[in-house]
Amino acid sequence: MDLVQILRGVDLFQGLNPEQLRRLADISHRAVYRSDDVIFSQGSVGDKLYIIADGQVEIRFSDADGSDHAVLFLGSGQIFGEMALLDQGKRSATVAAVQDNTIVYGMARDEFEALCLADTSIGYVMMRNMALDLSFKLRHKNLDPSTDL
Amino acid sequence: MIYKVSYVVVGGEYPGGIKNESERPQVGSVVQIGRVKFQVTEVHEIIPPRDDFQFLHATVKPVEETANAEPSKTS
Repeated sequence: MDLVQILRGVDLFQGLNPEQLRRLADISHRAVYRSDDVIFSQGSVGDKLYIIADGQVEIRFSDADGSDHAVLFLGSGQIFGEMALLDQGKRSATVAAVQDNTIVYGMARDEFEALCLADTSIGYVMMRNMALDLSFKLRHKNLDPSTDL
Repeated sequence: MIYKVSYVVVGGEYPGGIKNESERPQVGSVVQIGRVKFQVTEVHEIIPPRDDFQFLHATVKPVEETANAEPSKTS
């Protein structure tokens, strides 16, 4: 499937026109992971936002005692890594693929910011949509009793 | 229409998930969250629809009571 078509199915990109989607597709880089492949690790430096085109990933937190536990699974159409893109802090969790042929597209912060500066409407729409996505994740967390464990 | 669904597992011992679906989940339908399959027990709207998206919350239970619904835990 054409990447612009994939981006059209992701709520992060709702409100953008076809030309804006094409410009975002131009800075998106495809990667394919096998089950258990780590995409990034908690504490590492983060400079990319990721979009899941196919498959699922697991979000894991490491406790102070060194044990990992899964807190959330994300499937197609979801984004991750946006926190480090926004606040430039270290990765707050580890993300690993849980299915073979999990396909993600990475968007580097510097390329994304350059695009937002060149077309501020892209920046406005995506920042609004990113806030809505974080709000949805927070609502999910509030409803999920496993996050209390 | 695309359905962005927040799935939560009954009992709270297994983490839930978020994924986009091309069809609205129905009570009784089966969904895979992580490596485990679950059955949908309840679906409702979590926030109002926007553009081409509906935002749903679904509660699920393991397809079989004997299913291994332990989250991954490593030291």
